[in-house]
Amino acid sequence: MANISVFLCKCFGEIDNTVDFDFLRKELSKNPSIVLISTVDSLCLETDIEKTVSRIKESNSEKVLIAACSILSRGNLVVESLIKEGIERHKIGLVDIREGCAWIHGDDPAGVTKKAKDLINIGIAALQHKELSDDMSVTVHPNALIIGAGPAGLAAAISLAKTRFKVNILERSKAPGGMLRLISRCYPGNEDASNKLEPYIREVENNPLITFYPQSKIASIEGDTGNFTVHFSSQEKDSSIKSGVIIIATGAKIFFPTGLYGYGEIKNVITQMEFERQILNGSLETKKPVFIQCVGARDKKRPYCSTICCPISLKNASRIAEDVPGASVFILHRGIMTPGNTLEKYYRDTLASGVQFIRFEEEHPPRIIGSDHVESVEVYDAITGITRKIETDLVVLSTPLVPNNDNAQLAKMMDIEVDRYGFFSEIYPMHPLETKTDGIFICGSARWPVSSDNSILQGKAAAMKAVSYLRQSKITASTLSRVPGLKAGHARVVTESCTGCGNCVAACPFNACHLEKMEGRYISVVNMMKCKACGSCVSVCPNGSVQIPEHNYRMVGEMIKMAF
Amino acid sequence: MTGFEHTQNTKKNAVLVVGGGVAGITASLDLANAGHTVHLVENKSHLGGQVSELDKLYPTDHCAFCPLWTDVKKCMEHSLITVHTLSHVKGLEKENGNCSAVILRSPRYIDEKKCVFCGRCEKECPVGAIHSEWEHLNPPSFVIDEALCTQCGNCTNVCPSDAINMELKEEEIHLLVSYVIWATGFKEADIHHLKEYGSGTHPDIMTSMEFEEWTAEAGTNRGTIIKKSDGAVPANIAFIQCAGARDLRMIPSCSAVCCMHALKQAEWVKRRNKGIDCWIFYTDLRTVGRDYYRYSLRDFEGAGINLVRGRPGLIHPLPGGKGIAVQFENTITQKREIRRFDIVILNGNIQPSLIQLRSEQSEKTVVPQINKEGFVITESDETPDFACGFGLEPADVAESVIQASATAMRVINKESDQW
Repeated sequence: MANISVFLCKCFGEIDNTVDFDFLRKELSKNPSIVLISTVDSLCLETDIEKTVSRIKESNSEKVLIAACSILSRGNLVVESLIKEGIERHKIGLVDIREGCAWIHGDDPAGVTKKAKDLINIGIAALQHKELSDDMSVTVHPNALIIGAGPAGLAAAISLAKTRFKVNILERSKAPGGMLRLISRCYPGNEDASNKLEPYIREVENNPLITFYPQSKIASIEGDTGNFTVHFSSQEKDSSIKSGVIIIATGAKIFFPTGLYGYGEIKNVITQMEFERQILNGSLETKKPVFIQCVGARDKKRPYCSTICCPISLKNASRIAEDVPGASVFILHRGIMTPGNTLEKYYRDTLASGVQFIRFEEEHPPRIIGSDHVESVEVYDAITGITRKIETDLVVLSTPLVPNNDNAQLAKMMDIEVDRYGFFSEIYPMHPLETKTDGIFICGSARWPVSSDNSILQGKAAAMKAVSYLRQSKITASTLSRVPGLKAGHARVVTESCTGCGNCVAACPFNACHLEKMEGRYISVVNMMKCKACGSCVSVCPNGSVQIPEHNYRMVGEMIKMAF
Repeated sequence: MTGFEHTQNTKKNAVLVVGGGVAGITASLDLANAGHTVHLVENKSHLGGQVSELDKLYPTDHCAFCPLWTDVKKCMEHSLITVHTLSHVKGLEKENGNCSAVILRSPRYIDEKKCVFCGRCEKECPVGAIHSEWEHLNPPSFVIDEALCTQCGNCTNVCPSDAINMELKEEEIHLLVSYVIWATGFKEADIHHLKEYGSGTHPDIMTSMEFEEWTAEAGTNRGTIIKKSDGAVPANIAFIQCAGARDLRMIPSCSAVCCMHALKQAEWVKRRNKGIDCWIFYTDLRTVGRDYYRYSLRDFEGAGINLVRGRPGLIHPLPGGKGIAVQFENTITQKREIRRFDIVILNGNIQPSLIQLRSEQSEKTVVPQINKEGFVITESDETPDFACGFGLEPADVAESVIQASATAMRVINKESDQW
């Protein structure tokens, strides 16, 4: 048992007015491992911290227990100052006897002292048995791998190259550009997509820091944060690259509405993408187009709004309304989704250009009239309650973006997640581009359908996140904690007793555990770069062979004993 | 610490970030993690911005506090970030590619290093001038409102740690920075002059941020839903969307966050008290993000929240405290109705805070070039200005964070262009 010194903070009466300190001292002095009990007016003030440190150094104590306020208020300040004075973090314990004790039980003087005593005893038990996790560090490969060369991937690549990092881009098709190569103009600026793409492609071709791998296919990804190895084939040649970070910008694909509104059977029912293609090759001839929104989206099968289809229709509809004299353009919609200032203005401008909007409800979809050629569309206008028949020469179906088929496979290679629809998902909405594996970022429509402008924005944002990894020479596992100052540690396996049952491998939500053969038998090995110390493995281990040293079995057992 | 500490690279140009909400915090952290010195200026006494006022975040329904707190803490503890609370930008001048900024820091009158956060001064103050704006704020300390303080000295007498110093004066801080990022966020606009919404005519006609504070778990009523007028449990609540927004008389833009915000509030009203009827009056239910549409479906089908497409034509208090009458047309059924509600929440009247700042205190504070809606214009190459968050374009938390990181990247890239 280590010698412990206990410091009780009065907090100028905030604690000792309700908690009986004399009783506490009497109770605590019964514990033989406590070599010093000291009462201080307020531990968090600078002068008192100095005194505390000198007292700790004078006494022959190895560990320190602070009984003061919550770590959320001033407690952390005391702990951090003690660490600055050279006391190791795992040798300091902090017990909250102000917020969680003196303040909330102020009306029960007997109970509050007892609770304070119990809390301190629990704190001492924890401190006695607390161990420290092992740590490891990885040398960061100062280059980035970007999967996908659409607007998001290109923006990320160029931002990183400008920051002087080597970038490798893997692209499934022959040329960079992604979906921007298939469309004529971009909303809301209405600039030509090819003009927008041109500087990016020029940069990719000319920047010596960027290597572009066309027609590539990823075979496997191994390694950890800061040190990934990607095996892939490009133009039928196999190779592998080491990379510090990975940015996923694989985009999404277009949904083909076969069977909906006669698509595939009726000639002049086309998708928004075919409309774009006809503009590009100059074959578009229409005077009375009807755009139908939410085709295959916001229904039972795909219960999501694809974000970009409303503005795309606004873009194409207003183009016809403005360019073709005498045109009559209709958009049949279920609520125009143009959030924000720029898009709302775009909507108002489209209204002003003479495009007519009819709102329909999900229960009454528009009806296409005509067998091999649409003559008109019948729609129940939800606002006026009148069924209208609109003569048309072209029906354009606005279909959603759907996730790529291999998203789940790619996600599995990198131990990240896809959402219920199949798009790559972030770890938390407040960190929207970060994934479960540190050092892997998602952006663009691979994450969620977004416009080209937003793809570029997200590409830059993902590059920013990557820079903070790449600018370090080394990454230490213990610093990957998302909560500052509260290092949780990593799971540790006792190799002697591990039976290699594999329960932990199945239970780990971060794929940090795997089995390895050692001296003729299988044992579990924990990857510290991936372990988040959640404790899932600890709870399923049949014989206690896996532990988190900071919260080990003995420690928790002793703490519980003290509590009851 | 955060793990992204850089001992080398500290000679990179300094950046001034104005606004300590999620966007400002993220931009600061990103830049600091990449080795830049950052000065973060916040005019409130604590970091966190509007998110610190929120109870829950959509679409996960998690608390807003935890993820915000961790980022605020990282920001406070980062060796390259200097946080200036209670401060605003007084002067900004461009010279030789650099920018000299003057920050005016109002005194807190309470020494953060000495304050033990006991709260005696708050209890003792006869005029309520002392308050902590957020329970788990960083730094943990109180602040004295200069405008209300009568200099009675009660607080100085009861403070156990001599933390209160009424002698403190306004402080001018001179900084040399290369770039400025405006992350000034939004404010609720006053819609008194739009008479049909009845704003200010009845205590139970609240704005949505007022309602959030009124009912939040960490707010006034600790998660119970009662009326402001008499403390009784309301029978029904009306959420009025686009109140003042998408309205050429007031805010022409769509505020982007209010539909989901109302759905979230209605969901949490239902979770806390199933008996309260919720009505949401919307124009277009804009649910474009991941799981947002699903969130609205859940409300449609399960919880019994009534969604009505239509903007009420008149909201007025009924005599004798009998509630509030809302006159509306359901534009899907074409039925006109008058309904009585106990609480009416006006949603959507949010606009960039810069537009109000410009009109209120233009001589005291520097405001960047903004357009007529109040959003920062960042196109020109002349100014070193960047912007992110709601000050640039209406955005929710996730969007603001993405914008902030992208802006930080643009700042770094712009710097490398100059080499």
